[in-house]
Amino acid sequence: MSKFTRRTILKVGGIGALAAGMPGGLVSPRALAEGQRITVTAFGGIWEKMIREVMVADYEKRTGNEASVLIGGPQQWMAQIESNRENPPIDVLMNTIDLALIAGRTGLAEPLTVDKVSNLADVPQPFIDIVEGYGVLFTYGAWGLAYHERVKNPPKSFAEFVEGTIAGKWRAALPNAGYTGTPQILIWSLADALGGSVDNVDPAFEAIQKMKPNSVFWTGISDPLIQLETGEADVAIYVDGRTWAHYDSGATWIRYINPEEGGVMQPAIAQKVKNGSDAAWEYINSLLSPGPQAEVAERLNYGLSNSKLQYSDKLKERITPWEKTRFPPFEKTGTAQREWIERWNREIRA
Amino acid sequence: MKADVEPPACPKRGARLRRVLGLGPAGAAVPLIWVLPAVAFMAIFFVAPLVDNVARSLSLAGGFSGAPTSALAAYAKLLGDPYYLEVLVTTLVFSLVVTAISLVAGYPVAYFLVRKSGRYYSLIVFLLVAPLLTSIIMRTFGWRVLLARRGFVNSILMDLGIIDVPINFLSGPGVAVAGLVHVLVPFMVLAIASSLQGIDRQLEESAQILGASRMRTFFHITLPLTLDGIGTGFILVFMLANGSFVTLLLLGGGSIQTLPLLIYQQFTITRDFNLAGAMSNVLLISALICLVLQLRILKRRGVKGK
Amino acid sequence: MTRLLDLLRNPADLLLPAFVFLFFVFIIAPIAIVVWMAFSAQAYIGFPIPAYSLKWFYRIVEYEPFLNSLIVSIELAIASTIVAATIGVPAALALARSRAGFADGLATFLLSPISMPQIVLGFALLFYLSALGFGVSFTALLLGHTLCGIPYIVRTVLGVYRSQPADFEEAAAILGANRWQVFRYVTLPLVRPGIFAGGLFALLISMDNLPISFFFGSPDTNTLPVVLLSYTENQFDPSIAAVSTVQMLLALLALVVVDRVYGVKHMGAPS
Repeated sequence: MSKFTRRTILKVGGIGALAAGMPGGLVSPRALAEGQRITVTAFGGIWEKMIREVMVADYEKRTGNEASVLIGGPQQWMAQIESNRENPPIDVLMNTIDLALIAGRTGLAEPLTVDKVSNLADVPQPFIDIVEGYGVLFTYGAWGLAYHERVKNPPKSFAEFVEGTIAGKWRAALPNAGYTGTPQILIWSLADALGGSVDNVDPAFEAIQKMKPNSVFWTGISDPLIQLETGEADVAIYVDGRTWAHYDSGATWIRYINPEEGGVMQPAIAQKVKNGSDAAWEYINSLLSPGPQAEVAERLNYGLSNSKLQYSDKLKERITPWEKTRFPPFEKTGTAQREWIERWNREIRA
Repeated sequence: MKADVEPPACPKRGARLRRVLGLGPAGAAVPLIWVLPAVAFMAIFFVAPLVDNVARSLSLAGGFSGAPTSALAAYAKLLGDPYYLEVLVTTLVFSLVVTAISLVAGYPVAYFLVRKSGRYYSLIVFLLVAPLLTSIIMRTFGWRVLLARRGFVNSILMDLGIIDVPINFLSGPGVAVAGLVHVLVPFMVLAIASSLQGIDRQLEESAQILGASRMRTFFHITLPLTLDGIGTGFILVFMLANGSFVTLLLLGGGSIQTLPLLIYQQFTITRDFNLAGAMSNVLLISALICLVLQLRILKRRGVKGK
Repeated sequence: MTRLLDLLRNPADLLLPAFVFLFFVFIIAPIAIVVWMAFSAQAYIGFPIPAYSLKWFYRIVEYEPFLNSLIVSIELAIASTIVAATIGVPAALALARSRAGFADGLATFLLSPISMPQIVLGFALLFYLSALGFGVSFTALLLGHTLCGIPYIVRTVLGVYRSQPADFEEAAAILGANRWQVFRYVTLPLVRPGIFAGGLFALLISMDNLPISFFFGSPDTNTLPVVLLSYTENQFDPSIAAVSTVQMLLALLALVVVDRVYGVKHMGAPS
């Protein structure tokens, strides 16, 4: 409740200032509590609840500082930082890998070091190298195959999935060019599984073209769950954590397998925003602490980055170990995807 | 006061003629200067940001992320490549189809709302705007439940023995058109209704007393008098359809490619803001050209109608 | 009873109500599914519904961001509609009967914000307003939403005013009313249906806006559509359906209140 009153006061102040013809509304909330309060980002729902109840709680307990949580998505946050480089409205950014690489290269994020973030010492090196040092992997999901239990002989590999879809053994749900992850989780993944590479994605495009008659395409990340249930699709390219969350919420018909080639690594990257408050380093330290991370794994069913972290038996069965996932060459997919999407628009038209 | 100025049953011909010819009334109540705040607001918060955007894209060649299309190259690409022209045409045709369907479906509803709804007026207005108050994600979900292979409509049709194999409603442009008409038709209905309300019923009654059939009365009196409302609805729906992408994205299954959809991709995936900006300027200008053409046609009809 | 007899005498009269009925089946069907879903006891969105419960409505109150962002959305919708009407109504009145050659061009110009994918507009505005020093704030949101509301108000008021003959105002002037009196007692009542429809459009468009709000969210000024979209990124439970249902209920309530106080029909009709 106290939060609400503060917000109201700010707003009334903002409108009042506007009425007086001054750019005051304007005084962003963080400016009022300079120094003590940092702004961190989160996806909505359970993610935001986790950030607030686990990470922010840990950070506030350890440092005595406060942190407010901005709900939204990486594209929004990036634009907000790009447009306010000198006085960014965000201090710690949770980013997609593509945008994280851009943020690093265009001077929007600061490099992480062990003396600033001590828990970084326990994070496997690939999780730092993946963003060229300008941040660190916080959680990851693996994009394998989710299917409905009515499919009696589910595919065991991506190659088999492609083959079976073309043969009409099941209907497939594939992401389309509107979903952010498509270049990696579909185009690169199939190219890699079918003998191509990041420099030769022809096999992927040929496969998708042939699968098209027996496929439905989706944009919203929750769509495949409905498509599987309503019979629009039987097998979907999907991420492990969301599949298990759906299973736990009562959809016990859903199954997940990590294909033989390995599911595609999709990381969530934590970054310290350049020109943001230095208190942010300690928050990133909270993000990487084994204790809070264990709690996050229980809540989200996603893999985390601290190597000291011990998963429960239930989670061990569910979480795909990062060594068994495939890392797309992110620095290359990032630039190649522009061409891929244009090709998709012209050829696949979905 | 109102009683003092009770209008004559039938407006004077002279005034109507003056209005139709665009000469305006002798004593306009509102001076033209009143348009200034709106124009100033638009100049500061619409034109300036867009100009700023173009200027930034010109100065930032290669800025954001590696090597985006330069601003000039973006226009060259858009205007020189038949693929993009095709997408532009698809966008405009799609919007026209949505608008035409909304008009044909919406007019009778507006007529019913104004003339027949009686005390159910508020309820009908509420039902009309309800889709706009439902999160797009949930709206899409509603359509899926209704139209999926194992959805309600297919189940009913199969139970009734009308079909044997479920119809694939959800792929193909049909569902995208339906989804967009669903949220845009309220604009058409309310725009037409607001002009229908202004019609002097006595005009229609006198026509009928003079022996005109109800059809004739409708087409010769009612319809021409609501042309301004139709114009409003047409413009709003057309322009909204032109700029919308969320419904297409979630419902179309990608079966239709329109410029807003490609623009959205530039923001979410490829981050080619120059291309996005160029696309949106091309879209805006072609929409405005269409608009002017439509207004011309509408106006000519309007004069003929009277 | 007499109505029924009339109908039987003239079966063609049934056509219109029948068409309107089918039209509303089309409008309501997907929405009805959403409302139905809101009462599901299941923890994920899916059919059929095994049992019913009110827990998702409780969740709206319990999950702070839903309630907070709903309040922001409502405040923003009302504020931006008021500002847009204050700016837009005079402009529409001035343009509707102007004999100036550029009036049509100007009217078209005032409509242009809606023909542009708002994501582009939001992006451009974010950078522009940030350069001016108020990038991420309620003020920025208000400006963006006002910009999107103006076209609706201008166009509807313009359409309604144009379809009214100038005779009323002339008569009032002849009868000795001064400019202000003509405006207040003749012009404004004449265009009331336009202001009502346009204001309603602006309110709804603001409540539904994602592409602009998206760029201006801060921890204290996030709007409902942004929070809902982000929510579904990791979760797909019926609380989203419950939020939509509550939104519709609020709108219904507002309409009923307006109806009781002023009469919606009255709002819609020039008297």
